[in-house]
Amino acid sequence: MPALQELVEGRIDFKGQKKTDDIVRVVLITSTVLSFVVGFTLSSLKITLSTFALCTVALSLVVLPPWPMFNKHPVKWVPSQEHSPKSKG
Amino acid sequence: MHSIYARVNGVSGLWSTCIMVLLAAVALSSFLFNADPKGDLDIVSLKVFHSKTRRYPFRNEEISFVKFNISTDFTPLFNWNTKQLFVYLEAEYTNAQGVNNTVILWDRIVRRKEQAKIDVVQKDKYRLRDLSGSFRDVLPAQYSLKYNVMPYVGVLSYGEAARTLEPIDFPEAKDSVS
Repeated sequence: MPALQELVEGRIDFKGQKKTDDIVRVVLITSTVLSFVVGFTLSSLKITLSTFALCTVALSLVVLPPWPMFNKHPVKWVPSQEHSPKSKG
Repeated sequence: MHSIYARVNGVSGLWSTCIMVLLAAVALSSFLFNADPKGDLDIVSLKVFHSKTRRYPFRNEEISFVKFNISTDFTPLFNWNTKQLFVYLEAEYTNAQGVNNTVILWDRIVRRKEQAKIDVVQKDKYRLRDLSGSFRDVLPAQYSLKYNVMPYVGVLSYGEAARTLEPIDFPEAKDSVS
């Protein structure tokens, strides 16, 4: 059950989140410009929308699943300490 | 962006903005294409007959039948953002009370560039009748061929491709049997 939960959640660490954020921004803006230019020169609206759709599908395959490249910098937790009576006094 | 759901949420925000900008750019690109095709329009024959009104068959009215010859090439209007072209033939006349009437006699929807050359001799699709029921006191009519460009994304645009040079008089109404 926890395995299924992890699979559905798809957690990635913070550096990986920043990387996905950058990838998404660059790819979406480039694909908008690229699909407009390609469709305009080839004079076909179908080509514009299909290049954009293909770029979206490719982007979601790269960004949505929790690939190992996004999990290269796991969070380093401070080691847990025993509760000592000294901290009270 | 910590979970798949959060990533989908974040990506969809920028994605929807991008697609709206893309469609706006496509709509604006229509303004770069300024085609103004002109053609020929001739009225071959114009006859006026007495007949019954369609809805109330006991009432008489005069109906005018127009045969026309259109020869126009609309291909310059087809750019990447043209979905279809609505071509229509209009009769414009002023009646005795000074009211301007415009009646569409024939229309055609052109969906592809290959179908854009129109070269027909046809009779009207829709009846030409005056609201008063008679063409006796009506001033001569001008006929014009107009078009409406319908884009995939963007604003509709209208234009006129041909016009008869002089106004044409309506002849006396005859009985259709003769």
